[in-house]
Amino acid sequence: MSHAATAHDHDHDHHDHKPPFFQRWFMSTNHKDIGTLYLIFSLTMLFVGGAMALVIRAELWQPGLQFVDPHFFNQMTTVHALIMVFGAVMPGFVGFANWMLPLMVGAPDMALPRMNNWSFWILPFAFSILLGSFFVPGGAPASGWTLYAPLTIQGGMSVDMGIVAIHMMGISSIMGAINVIVTVLNMRAPGMTLMKMPMFVWTWLITAFLLIAVMPVFAGAVTMLLTDRHFGTAFFNPAGGGDPVLYQHIFWFFGHPEVYIMILPAFGIISHIIPTFARKPLFGYSSMVFATAAIAFLSFIVWAHHMFTVGMPLQGELFFMYATMLISVPTGVKVFNWVTTMWRGSMTFETPMLYAIGVVFLFTLGGLSGLMLAITPADFQYHDTYFVVAHFHYVLFSGAVMAMMGGAFFWLPKWTGHMYNETLGKIHFWLTAIFFNITFFPQHFLGLAGMPRRYADYPIQFTEFNQISSFGAFGLGLSQLLFVYIIVATVRGGKKATAEVWDKPDGLEWTVPSPAPFHTFDEPPVVK
Amino acid sequence: MVLSRHLKSIAKITAFVAILITALFSGLAQADWEYNLQRPVTEIAEDIYGLHMLIFWICVVIFVAVFGVMFYSIFAHRKSKNYQPSQFSHSTSVEVVWTIVPFLILVVMAIPATIVLIKMEDTTKSDLTIKITGYQWKWGYEYLDSGINFFSTLSTPREQIDQFDKETAQPQGENYLLETDNVVVVPSGRKVRALITANDVIHAWWIPAFGVKKDAIPGYINELWFNVKEGEEGIYRGQCAELCGKDHAYMPIVVKVVTGAEFDNWVAAGGNFDSAPIAENIEPVKEEVKAKEVSVGSSNSVIEAIVPSANAAEEALVTDADVSSATVLSKDELMSKGEKIYGSCSACHGADGSGIPGVFPAIAGSPIVAGPVDDHLDIVLFGKPGTAMAAFASQLSDEDIAAVVTYQRNSFGNDAGDIVLPADVLAKRN
Repeated sequence: MSHAATAHDHDHDHHDHKPPFFQRWFMSTNHKDIGTLYLIFSLTMLFVGGAMALVIRAELWQPGLQFVDPHFFNQMTTVHALIMVFGAVMPGFVGFANWMLPLMVGAPDMALPRMNNWSFWILPFAFSILLGSFFVPGGAPASGWTLYAPLTIQGGMSVDMGIVAIHMMGISSIMGAINVIVTVLNMRAPGMTLMKMPMFVWTWLITAFLLIAVMPVFAGAVTMLLTDRHFGTAFFNPAGGGDPVLYQHIFWFFGHPEVYIMILPAFGIISHIIPTFARKPLFGYSSMVFATAAIAFLSFIVWAHHMFTVGMPLQGELFFMYATMLISVPTGVKVFNWVTTMWRGSMTFETPMLYAIGVVFLFTLGGLSGLMLAITPADFQYHDTYFVVAHFHYVLFSGAVMAMMGGAFFWLPKWTGHMYNETLGKIHFWLTAIFFNITFFPQHFLGLAGMPRRYADYPIQFTEFNQISSFGAFGLGLSQLLFVYIIVATVRGGKKATAEVWDKPDGLEWTVPSPAPFHTFDEPPVVK
Repeated sequence: MVLSRHLKSIAKITAFVAILITALFSGLAQADWEYNLQRPVTEIAEDIYGLHMLIFWICVVIFVAVFGVMFYSIFAHRKSKNYQPSQFSHSTSVEVVWTIVPFLILVVMAIPATIVLIKMEDTTKSDLTIKITGYQWKWGYEYLDSGINFFSTLSTPREQIDQFDKETAQPQGENYLLETDNVVVVPSGRKVRALITANDVIHAWWIPAFGVKKDAIPGYINELWFNVKEGEEGIYRGQCAELCGKDHAYMPIVVKVVTGAEFDNWVAAGGNFDSAPIAENIEPVKEEVKAKEVSVGSSNSVIEAIVPSANAAEEALVTDADVSSATVLSKDELMSKGEKIYGSCSACHGADGSGIPGVFPAIAGSPIVAGPVDDHLDIVLFGKPGTAMAAFASQLSDEDIAAVVTYQRNSFGNDAGDIVLPADVLAKRN
């Protein structure tokens, strides 16, 4: 008893007291440690998913089958996507949310710390099950990450393992989202009204509502698949009166908001980095908030643009075309606001700023190809080709992933107390940006010229662009080793970071010392 | 010893790099470098091409304008030039402008898109109708007006595809993965309507030069149409565009566009470029018809209701089927024929009959193959619902099925010892 009491006193005296290793990392309820766990998990998954991408690119180096058979190739494309979406991007942003939301709103921790612990620890088990499916007869799921019925109904037991894993990821995401909403709505420092919240908080709040709205829909879709597979139902099986297109509608009702779940927090990060390095407040704060909300709303009414070729009625095609085109208006507002924030600022170009500019530039390129895809008659040509693959890697890699990398460089000094090596950071940015474009830009050409996606093998006229793309992919993959090196080196040492880190940045997170102490904001700060 | 091994591996790596570089550069010399949509040969495809280029150039203009401003700012408004930051943070008028202007640009894009889309969806007043069925992994075609029907499978030799072993691999031909045993024949200058469905999972039928792509979905009949311009006769190639499992990349589409008159002759000849009608010429074309896998005796197929029963071609084929059912073949004959037909089974069940565990059952040591002939015939003829195992009753003749079943029962270490005759298959069909 007395020992516990002493420890307690000690804890109060020194905010930086940390529990022993096992308790600290496996039983943690501290938002910073859980944030770190999420970020490490996300980075690990980035490499697992990336390795699969390299298997894909190696096989596509030349026409013909050189390394893997088409069945294994399909497993690679499927699991690569599932890992990247649910293992790398989503947990990555939850990691940022865990670390930064309490610091940004002046709260001592997330509102529901035990649930926070639980929502993280579900993930390693979920992904063990998903990756374990490689070792069952027939290998991992091979029907694309969209898991379209009836192809999934044919699959082996790995499909069931995938479904269980998806349920677990869904539970984790929903709990994470609840935690974000409760924290943001209840634990803001006195004086921080909703319209004074930092943009990253706003984008995550809206993302959290999207998650709660659509993850159960996806869970429903895969549960219907499961009962079709094993319990004699025929939701999607035409032989039993079911409807294969119904699956696609349900899936994309989840899938399209999911796209914004992966990009809105990235918009938030960019909206912090650009004002800091332009030394100028974010332009059009309230229009940024409304644009985010508008994107979130529209994301629910555009889902069928993923399925223009299923044979919808003309009226349906027109509605989804117009609604999809509309999304470019609020997205455009965001891009214009970022550019105007830079306008007549006093810019410097440290690594986070390079990433932010790279994201704005490349994400917009992906956004414009998205506008092309919205044009239904043209989409009949683009649909299910490499044009689509190029498009979504521009918005997901150079949008979401590069925003996270920029965010990591931006807040790394706050997290570790050390400055990263600026030269290496810049080299990492340029390697990533250049190899990314070498990898994915030629895929636009491949898609337009007629190469379908999810092909293990292709006609010979597509060889040259595929070789360029494969070359870029290996460069892109190898460049990420530098990212890991920089992070490890920064954690271990480096120049001491000040509390502010950058030149007069805006936000409560810069008022606490670097590294941020184990417990922060025991006394809520007052926001004027 | 160690040194020589190192030298050897270095030599190997050097050789590999040299091959890669040579491949890349020889590729450069003869590369196609196609980077845009294929040359359109229908009015719709031309409309799509125009729309695509219009939207593309609008996007380029927006991109250049926005990032022109951004890069100017990056160049001019930098701290290293001692630029003093202004602190403005909003401007309602500017924000209204950049909400309204993009909206107006969208309207400009939406109008032509709507016009083209309405045109694309109008499948009325067609001159002929083809029913297209997607299978794992081939396409079936049925000309509903004339009753001609056939399957179309990839004709690229396996040795060109499998490059795992450089000893057996062959160089790829010009139309690698874009060639089929049977081609779809359509007339130019006529509106062709296609009804598209699938037998197992979702596929998608796509000919880029025609500007058409539609999903083939089991339980659904989708429609599309195209009208190839006169003067654009020739061969057009496309591929399956919806992931349909293992051999998704291996079910291409080849369409031969001929003049209206040539097409009429082709139809009159029952699907042959032979001037004489097939019914008057049974003996000479019999082998060719069989080679083309023209389906016969599809007792449970929807098509029969549509196809006129008096059709000369079909009568000829039924006669052909009766003849083959009555044929008594030796085991050797059945085995050698069966080995050939097994080629299409091998996509799932493996060339060595080992299948893919957990997904596609092995033929080697299979209880069905070792069990009664009746069960074996049952699964080959009628398929297994809910799996990739298709019903081959409408795809193969009695003789073909007899041969392949005999082959499976006596290969890959299976030794049922019995043989199955076309007559057994006929009996089972009924």
